[in-house]
Amino acid sequence: MGFVLDGLETESYDRNYSDRELVRRIVRYFRPYGRQMLVVAVMVTLNSAAGTGGPILIARAIDLVKTDSSTPMLLLLAAGVLLMGAAAWGFNYVQQLFTARVVGNVVLQLRQDVFQATMGHDLSFYDEHPSGKIVSRVTSDTQDFSNVVTLVMDLLSQVLLVVILSIWLLTIHLWLTLLLVGMAPLAAVIALRFRRVARQVTQQARRARATINAQIQESISGIVVAKSFRQEGAIYATFDANNRQAYRVGLRRGLTLNTIFPIMGLASGLGVATLVYAGGLATRGGMVTPGDWYLFMQAVGFFWWPMMSIASFWSQFQDGLSASERVFALMDAEPRVVQTASEPVERLEGHIEFRHVHFAYNRQEVVLPDFSLEIHPGETVALVGHTGAGKSSIARLITRFYEFQGGEILIDGRDIRRLDLAQYRRHIGLVPQEPFLFTGTVRDNIRYGRPEASDEEVYAAAMQISHGEWLADLPNGLDTDVGERGASLSMGQRQLVALARVILKDPAILILDEATSSVDPFTETQIQEGLEALMRGRTAIVIAHRLSTVKHADRTLVLDHGQIIEEGTHDELLARGGLYAGLYNTYFRHQSLEYIESFGRQ
Amino acid sequence: MTKKEFRLANEYRYNRSGPVRWIVSHVLRYPLFPLGAILAAILNNWAYSYRQVLIGQAFDLISSAGWQTRALLMVALTLVGWAVVQGVTGLARNFAVEFIAQRIERDARDELYASLLGKSQTFHGRQRIGDIMARATEDVRMLNFMFSPGLMLITDSAMALLVPLVLIARLDWRLLLVPLIFSGLLALTVADYNRRLKPVSIALRDQFGTMNAGLAEAIAGIEVVKANAQEPREWASFARNARLYRDHFVAQGAIQARYLPMLAFTLAWAGGFLHALLLWRAGAISLGHVVAFVGLMGSLRFPTQISIFSFNLVQLGIAGAGRILELINTETELDENEAGVARPIRGEVVFEQVSFRYNGNPVLQEISFVAHPGETVAIVGQTGSGKTTLTRLINRIFDADEGRVLVDGVDVRDWNLESLRQQISTIEQDVFLFSRTLAENIAFGCADADQAAIEQAARQAQAHEFIESFAEGYNTVVGERGVTLSGGQRQRIAIARAFLTNPRILILDDSTSAIDSATEDQIQRAMRRISRERTTFIITHRLSQIRWADRILVLRRGRLVDQGRHEELMARCEDYRRIFARYE
Repeated sequence: MGFVLDGLETESYDRNYSDRELVRRIVRYFRPYGRQMLVVAVMVTLNSAAGTGGPILIARAIDLVKTDSSTPMLLLLAAGVLLMGAAAWGFNYVQQLFTARVVGNVVLQLRQDVFQATMGHDLSFYDEHPSGKIVSRVTSDTQDFSNVVTLVMDLLSQVLLVVILSIWLLTIHLWLTLLLVGMAPLAAVIALRFRRVARQVTQQARRARATINAQIQESISGIVVAKSFRQEGAIYATFDANNRQAYRVGLRRGLTLNTIFPIMGLASGLGVATLVYAGGLATRGGMVTPGDWYLFMQAVGFFWWPMMSIASFWSQFQDGLSASERVFALMDAEPRVVQTASEPVERLEGHIEFRHVHFAYNRQEVVLPDFSLEIHPGETVALVGHTGAGKSSIARLITRFYEFQGGEILIDGRDIRRLDLAQYRRHIGLVPQEPFLFTGTVRDNIRYGRPEASDEEVYAAAMQISHGEWLADLPNGLDTDVGERGASLSMGQRQLVALARVILKDPAILILDEATSSVDPFTETQIQEGLEALMRGRTAIVIAHRLSTVKHADRTLVLDHGQIIEEGTHDELLARGGLYAGLYNTYFRHQSLEYIESFGRQ
Repeated sequence: MTKKEFRLANEYRYNRSGPVRWIVSHVLRYPLFPLGAILAAILNNWAYSYRQVLIGQAFDLISSAGWQTRALLMVALTLVGWAVVQGVTGLARNFAVEFIAQRIERDARDELYASLLGKSQTFHGRQRIGDIMARATEDVRMLNFMFSPGLMLITDSAMALLVPLVLIARLDWRLLLVPLIFSGLLALTVADYNRRLKPVSIALRDQFGTMNAGLAEAIAGIEVVKANAQEPREWASFARNARLYRDHFVAQGAIQARYLPMLAFTLAWAGGFLHALLLWRAGAISLGHVVAFVGLMGSLRFPTQISIFSFNLVQLGIAGAGRILELINTETELDENEAGVARPIRGEVVFEQVSFRYNGNPVLQEISFVAHPGETVAIVGQTGSGKTTLTRLINRIFDADEGRVLVDGVDVRDWNLESLRQQISTIEQDVFLFSRTLAENIAFGCADADQAAIEQAARQAQAHEFIESFAEGYNTVVGERGVTLSGGQRQRIAIARAFLTNPRILILDDSTSAIDSATEDQIQRAMRRISRERTTFIITHRLSQIRWADRILVLRRGRLVDQGRHEELMARCEDYRRIFARYE
């Protein structure tokens, strides 16, 4: 099975699996359920046999009753038809039951495996691949895969039924059977051709709809503005044109899609007409009885629909296989951060040293060509520089989110690559630029880094920020529900929760990527006070966006193209008039008291 | 007659007393389409089912001794004829329904939009845009799906059940015995199946949502997960969700496997076959009739399977219609007060012991202050402290529950609403621009403004420079060819607009901050200039604006905890002093 694009965008870790490889991987997942699969296979066969038996029996019956129409005979025939139908239903029941169980378990296993693999990737993977797409691989692609398995089982029994029936019919009359079987490709061709057209209009319609939805969104957002300027007439005209366009596009798609079933109906009608005539002529020779003739009539229905469903489900089948291919590719993507040992990390002083570190996200983009830096325990270091200077890279190398390509990073004199990562990260406190909260209460979120912490400890951590006055502004204090990803809290409150989380963790090393979003001055003051409490007595690396942070740092490093250009305190650096002075004018000047005061003189 | 601010010239009147009536009145606007669809559906099913009758006739023919080829050819040709009828009527039916479905979507959207334009600013000030969007796009589409394929399939299934019954009765009315019993059995078993499947399907769908949401959260927060070494916990939580999903999936599979309607069908097929054979033996019908009857019974298989899905679509459509209607039928509570005071505003704003509740929750409590004409008032407070609500009491998006809001000494409720609002402008935090040229966006509301006036306004708003930096200058179309404006740039366009319209009272929500000092400078200058000569309320985080405002209102949880000039607050307000204390 080659890689089928099918309109889905590929990711850099995608790979082409050979058909054999793909099948082997899929089969491996089914292997633990071999016995159940055997049951399914037997049931599929029996189901098809019973399904064929019904119509054959009726056809035979019609011939038989002409010679023997005694009551026992009639009862026997009807009982036979009933038995066949009931048996087919029963086999189908068992088949579906087992299929559901096996598919459910296989998909569960697949999901667990792919989730585990996903969690194992380092952050470079998450930078390169949008999280929405990863999520859809873990849940939706596995879902598509399971749909295909179920679909294949159903189709298999239908196809088998056609095969059994064809063999039976071949024993009756060769040419008539060939005429009948010849219809199958015809149905497939019609369905496939139609699918192409349908895809085209659907794609056009989708594109057009996206445009129109955007326009409608604009018209609706614009209502408020239009009203305050009394421009209702003008904006209605725009909307009306958009709406009419949407109607035309939708109608074209709808009309095209609606032609298939009538055309198929017409074609199958023509097929029946042909067989009625050809079959009738065949009865003349006596080789075909009227009952057999009737069996051919019934067979048209059996032939036509499976072919059509195969044709129309073909794309689903392909989608499902490419879905499994995407899932495997996600599993097989190799993690870049590799630990060479897992030495225990019981406690940390917080001494950090970079020795000639070479780091690149990829070959073209070298971020740190040759970087050396020593940070002493308890020291607060502020990193400043333009976007892309390498500030975040330094912070993220310390958290071991990325792999570096040369040199070494030493934590308390030990090679970072040899540490037990889970233990090491317990001593690191990360405050990301965008505070991330999980669904739950404020308390749950503060406790995230230390699930075993008691309520008292959580409360104590929260109280360390501005004496806990921020809790009074939460409707239920620590028990306030933060909503989905913290949506019920203001941006400032989310930052406070993220701070309390790190305070509770009591890390040896603090990594702080300061937020750039603006927060009301009261909350901002609380955040700053909380940060000061947090930085006291630990090693802190701050990617600084706040003037006050830079002023409070023991040492400020001015970075440019992955190199330290200047180094010192705020006042020293400003006096020097170098790169820092320029950065100050660009990013920090408007945060200064002089700037604020200068407005009075304008 | 409801009050409206906008009305179309020749508006079609729909019945808005209930969702179903409303849908019906939409359909009846084009009576020929539903009529055609039903007729075509009857003919189509007749043509399809009649095939079985013809097969029966052909069977009798070829079973008779010495039959003529010509006669069989005639039957075959008749079959071709009916096949053509089936194809044509099928197309007619589908097209007719498609026209209804698409037109309903178009008309409903149009109706909704026109009604939204007719609603007051009060309504729009309260409504969330996302909510309106959902109704204008999703709910309107639901209406479309409700007809195509929903109602089309239901009509068709009903016909696919009825027409074979009529044809069977025409063969011999006694043959109806088994199919009628089957119809009853079918209704019972389908209802039972549905009843059992529904809760499991809903649980399955919900669980998929839960699993997806949990996963999306873990991946979005991966940095925090890893930094705290919580991967095992996230895995356990995901595995738990995935296992629950598996359990629901297997439960659903078990119910689907036990699809009793198919068993009932099998029973009917065998029973009907026996009954037909008995009638044949009694000489009442020919063997060809038996054949036709068995075929007709077979065509009952289709409606057995399809209807569940379509009933669901109809329910969704009616629910969507309900939500759209709710929006259309919402009345605006504030009256226009056309007889009220209408005169130029000087700009004095006074709050007297104002309290306001929203959905029963106190949002503002006992607010009192005086803003003199031309003053700049900075409103400071945390998110949710009531800053935006306070400003909305001035232009009557909301009315105070207790106390009074006075403009120029007159209660806002005694002002002519039109006159009041024309002189009060609001610049929202997220400025909306139309996909038109920048010049048109600035001149929006002042169609008579010439290019010189527009440029003058843009200069005053510090927008001229960046506008000129675009290749097309003032003729740059917003949103086209990748032209996107930053928040600060949009804000300055809105300020330029305000320079042209020149309101007496301006409300500015300025809660975003610029990252670099140069942009900050420009925004500040634009704001200071626009706030001169008019009473200005600024919701802001910028210390420079707070520092130099004529009056600062400090809000906390809906209460005005302090107010005054910077120096006054520095002297007596502890929270306020802490903000500036950090700068020394």
